[in-house]
Amino acid sequence: MTRFGRIAVYVTLLAASAVTIVPLLYMLTLSLQTEGETLSGEAVLLPETPQWGNYVTLFEEAPFGNFIINSLVVAGGITLAHLVFDPMIGYVFAKFDFPLKNTIFVAILATLMIPLFVRMIPLYVMMSNLGWLNSYQALILPFVMDGFGIFLMRQFIQPIPDDLLDAGRVDGASEFAVYRRVVLPQVKPALAVLGLFTFVFQWNEFLWPLVATTTEDMRTIPVGLTLFNQEHFTLWHLTAAGSVIMFVPTALILVFAQRYFVRGIALTGLK
Amino acid sequence: MALKTAVRERSPRPPQPAPRRPKGGTLQARRARTAYLFLTPALLFFALFFYMPIADIVNTSMHSGPQADRFSGLGNYVDAFGDPSVRNSFSVTLIFAVGTTVGAIVLGLALALLVNRPLRGRTLIRLALLVPYLTSVAVVGLLWRNILDPQLGILNRMLTEFGLPTQAWLNTDPLATIILVTLWQIAGYTMILFLAGLQGIPEVYYEAATIDGANQWQQFWRITLPLLAPTTLFVSVMAVISGLQAFGQAYIITNGGPADATDLYVFHVFEVAFRSRDFGYSSALSVLLLFVIIAFTAVQLRAGRRGEVQY
Repeated sequence: MTRFGRIAVYVTLLAASAVTIVPLLYMLTLSLQTEGETLSGEAVLLPETPQWGNYVTLFEEAPFGNFIINSLVVAGGITLAHLVFDPMIGYVFAKFDFPLKNTIFVAILATLMIPLFVRMIPLYVMMSNLGWLNSYQALILPFVMDGFGIFLMRQFIQPIPDDLLDAGRVDGASEFAVYRRVVLPQVKPALAVLGLFTFVFQWNEFLWPLVATTTEDMRTIPVGLTLFNQEHFTLWHLTAAGSVIMFVPTALILVFAQRYFVRGIALTGLK
Repeated sequence: MALKTAVRERSPRPPQPAPRRPKGGTLQARRARTAYLFLTPALLFFALFFYMPIADIVNTSMHSGPQADRFSGLGNYVDAFGDPSVRNSFSVTLIFAVGTTVGAIVLGLALALLVNRPLRGRTLIRLALLVPYLTSVAVVGLLWRNILDPQLGILNRMLTEFGLPTQAWLNTDPLATIILVTLWQIAGYTMILFLAGLQGIPEVYYEAATIDGANQWQQFWRITLPLLAPTTLFVSVMAVISGLQAFGQAYIITNGGPADATDLYVFHVFEVAFRSRDFGYSSALSVLLLFVIIAFTAVQLRAGRRGEVQY
């Protein structure tokens, strides 16, 4: 690369990064402005005095504590369920032979083609009939497994040598013990990828929590933010403060598990 | 394996005690039983939360009335084809899906080519470009609604500062605007996918091409682009499917407006279902979109298969 080319590449990439990062930084300064500043009609880049109190007011003006707990329970619960079920079922498809194996596997993979909006109305009716709207089970249950997680785990478990599993069986370990003591430790990195992805995407999920909750106290953060914003149309500083709080877990994951994350995305692209 | 068995069969069998039958049948049967035991939760889950809802929505789509209890056959589907609001929302969604897909491919590939070079700090740059993708569509929508606001928004303020004309973005070009916002969110993701594709291309191809005197441009068109075909296919299938399902942009940024200009299909279905409480009609609309998505995927995959033959 010529020197000029190198500089051009740098400038382009820095400009592109600025385009993605600056709006998010603006969200941060917006969260520190007074209500007056957000409405002044003159966009404020930096608040006169940072209003850290916005982060307290937020909890007074809306059940934001509830939103956080709900989001943690829902995204955390779904992630936990994936970590329990996906490797177990992936293991069965990787290492067992049984009647109808291929049919069942195809039936599970086919669900990847079924988007959430197709399930949205029937699931809503189902939850409503069960009296489960506004409940954690309604928010969690429809997502505790998916075809992708099972497929991913199967791909990782397949290369584990059968001899290793048989050695465990010969030693008298039960099938479950073989799975837990031999298989699971072998796929820890894959579990990390699966867990991080599931958590971040469920944390950000918007459509289903919007449909399945009707009372304010059961909203997750993304739904809480928007409904809050529509009712009090003008409270931009609080909306921004909530958005910043919402971004904290994602930021932490990015800082501490950035490698896993980028690799994980690349992995999903390899099919 | 076959040989070994044959040898063993020929050797005289030593006298053996009657083989002890393990409890619960042959090994194979026991293993199958274990498999099904492990599988039970999955079978229940996929039946209850995927296949039953599908049967349910197909059934509901053939009913009408406020309780969706009056059988109307294909009536809802016939209505949908004649419904101008459905047609509008379908064409809006098609433009949105195609726009975001083409944009995501072009931007993602361009960014991937740039960050694939040995540059200092490229990990950090990749991460910076990826961050919006990991942000909820709710946050992205609210943030951009604020930034684009004609009175309060910082975008117009910046344009004024540079002496450029300001715009009421969400009034003059609402669809293009939400396409751009979506590209802002997803371009980093397609960049990572293309990056993985690029790193899968063996370096020797480029070395050989360089020896043959091919310049960078020729190398891009003759080596990089053809070998990225599978990645491009994956990205385009993925982007079209998620484009057709977009919801938050309309719900949060524009509320479908102005005058239905951004009435994305899933948002339209959501409104018919939960605002008008018409579950029969909205179910039919959902099923129609499912067919469109399946058709799109099939066409793209077939095009991809045909493409692969050439290399």
